[in-house]
Amino acid sequence: MRRPREYRMLRLSLEMAPMALVLAVLFGGALMMAILQAMGFAPWFGVNTFPDFSHFRALWTSKAFWVSLGLTLYYATLATLIALVMAVPLALALIKTFPGKALFSGLYKLPLMVPYTVGIALAVVMLGNGGMFSRLAAFVGLIDDPGQFLRILNTHYGWGIIAVYVWKQMPFMTLAIHAVLIGIGRDTQEAAAVLGAGGRMIFLRITLPQILPGIVSATLICFAFNVGAFEAPFILGGGFPDTLPVVAWRYFNDADYTRQLEGMAAVVSLAIISGLILTAYLIVYRRYETKIGRV
Amino acid sequence: MRRAALGLVAAPALAFAAAASAGEAEHEFRADFLDGTLQWSEVEQRAREEGSVNFYFWGGDDSLNVWMDRVVTPALDQEGISFNPVRITGTKDAVDLVLAELNAGKRIGAGSVDVVWVNGENFAALKRQDALFGPFAQLLPNAENLEWSSDDPRSVLNLRDFGVETLGQEMPWSSEQYVCAVNRARVDEAGTPSTFAALRAYLEENPGKFTYVKPPHYIGNTFVQEAIYAHNPDGTGAEAFQAPLEEIGASELARLIGPGLEYLKNLEPLLLGAEGGAGPHYPEDIAALEGFFLNGQIDFACKFGLYGVATGLAKGTYPEKAEAFIFPEGYMIKNKSYLAIPANAPNPAAALVLINYMTSLEAQISKLEHVGLPAGIDPWLLAPQERRVLEEAAPGHIGVEQAELDENAAPDANATLVDVIEAAWLEYIERDSSRTIADIVAEAVENLPR
Repeated sequence: MRRPREYRMLRLSLEMAPMALVLAVLFGGALMMAILQAMGFAPWFGVNTFPDFSHFRALWTSKAFWVSLGLTLYYATLATLIALVMAVPLALALIKTFPGKALFSGLYKLPLMVPYTVGIALAVVMLGNGGMFSRLAAFVGLIDDPGQFLRILNTHYGWGIIAVYVWKQMPFMTLAIHAVLIGIGRDTQEAAAVLGAGGRMIFLRITLPQILPGIVSATLICFAFNVGAFEAPFILGGGFPDTLPVVAWRYFNDADYTRQLEGMAAVVSLAIISGLILTAYLIVYRRYETKIGRV
Repeated sequence: MRRAALGLVAAPALAFAAAASAGEAEHEFRADFLDGTLQWSEVEQRAREEGSVNFYFWGGDDSLNVWMDRVVTPALDQEGISFNPVRITGTKDAVDLVLAELNAGKRIGAGSVDVVWVNGENFAALKRQDALFGPFAQLLPNAENLEWSSDDPRSVLNLRDFGVETLGQEMPWSSEQYVCAVNRARVDEAGTPSTFAALRAYLEENPGKFTYVKPPHYIGNTFVQEAIYAHNPDGTGAEAFQAPLEEIGASELARLIGPGLEYLKNLEPLLLGAEGGAGPHYPEDIAALEGFFLNGQIDFACKFGLYGVATGLAKGTYPEKAEAFIFPEGYMIKNKSYLAIPANAPNPAAALVLINYMTSLEAQISKLEHVGLPAGIDPWLLAPQERRVLEEAAPGHIGVEQAELDENAAPDANATLVDVIEAAWLEYIERDSSRTIADIVAEAVENLPR
């Protein structure tokens, strides 16, 4: 009896080792370094005032930090919600049969294969004031020169940023929700229909609770990504005040080394805040699951 | 557990000892070369043994990148050296790398940067941290292409880099002047501003038709410096900014830069994208600025580019009717950029051979012809025939004459001031701080790395 058990333990630890190693070394190590630097430990710049909370204080007492945090959360939340509202009906449609379904199921996944940077470049080429649409509008005489075109990119409304996030994440969410839908089959929905439930009632009382695990995991992943993303807000954003990852990068690029430590403080603050939000989200979801008796 | 901990301590120590012994040969080579006891042929011999050279440079110019691959690589192959161009987005990356490696105990022979294209505050940072190879420039065979005698006032561009003495620790490679271009399809000669006041008047008539690259990008820093020169309250222009920070002092500097920053702050509502109360849109780099210019969103674009209009037209990155113009009168910053060798260069002999090649007449001519980067060597030291070839290789000026450009040239501000001016712009203009300029400058001076 002993050998198989030991063997099982060994196998289990071997299976978990790569992930544990990555987490401990790459993620844990980087996080520790970030926290140490944010608290004044950077002997390679000739700075060592550890432990020192002045960088956090400087950041948290500045109005610009809170504006930046607000912008970061605004872009992340709005993009996640828009993508979700588009993904749910799409996933529901995809379990039905219709002509051309095979082709369409392939097509909607295309953005998943294209990197974010390419999406950003597409946004610049199409939506920018020097982009296709603005030049076309100038060419047909709607406006005098392309510069007068409606500003979509590089504003603090962040339509360009949100567009790129939605473009990339809507297929991902659809895929996640669709997978859940296939797993549960259509039996319960058909049963509800036989018992006289209308379409809206079936969706709200049967389908939505069933796909909720898919919705929660997909929105969790997308929101976490959006909060920490750098390229889209950097290239498509409206300049100062920037989102927090961009703020951190700017501090990091500053010739003034004390600013680099403030940049680390910005990164750590962002990690703390997004960690808190995601944990709260999960707790609320668990409560719900317990309430409906699924866990 | 304890053994493991011991291993953790011992491993870097052993590695360090190994690196130190490997560095001895390089140490000796450096000492011999700087003494002048080595023949150039011995340097070339050693360079062949080293076999490769890592050149770190700003990789944002396609034609320069192509030139490196098509011209420099084969030229160094002939010397028996494999040329490794490392394109970086900002020179500060290379400076940070060198300083980090030095702090990690990687001395000569053990670093990763052999040569870096540098000037201004980046050179000053390397020099301040004692991170340079040594006074090599005048020992290179091609040093004869440059004026080193301080009796000739024209030598100042070789001897001082942003007011900091070069001491032969970097070799002039390229020269540049900050030139603005105008889109003649939109603005005629009479309407073209030549002073900051005229620019403001133009923008009041045509709001949103101008912007400049955002500091801390050096293209943006330079525009800010020109505005500060032109608004110098004493009327002494660039002169007041030649001394180092320690000499000027924070409060005096704040007084000198105040009116310029004030002008730029008041200009903000007239810049691109600021209509309707939104913040102005400052491009992050030259490519973005030129995109606005090409697209007719702005009427003027300023950057370092003596031949910028000619090359921009050739590449199609400038609008068809683009011309250079004199702006701001008397304050068009002109400087040289240099090649420096870090103190921990892994291949110091190959680095010397590369720099010597880069300052040869042949390389300077082909760089001028293919890239449009003005010569770093001094034409008056060349034979008349050579000088003519160099002149003919230049892409030429459009809309301005060389004499006008020379008349309106101004030097850079001292490198020690650049970081402070940059920090003041970021705080006073970008972050829209309500504190006084004196406060901001005092804090920026306080925070400078020492």
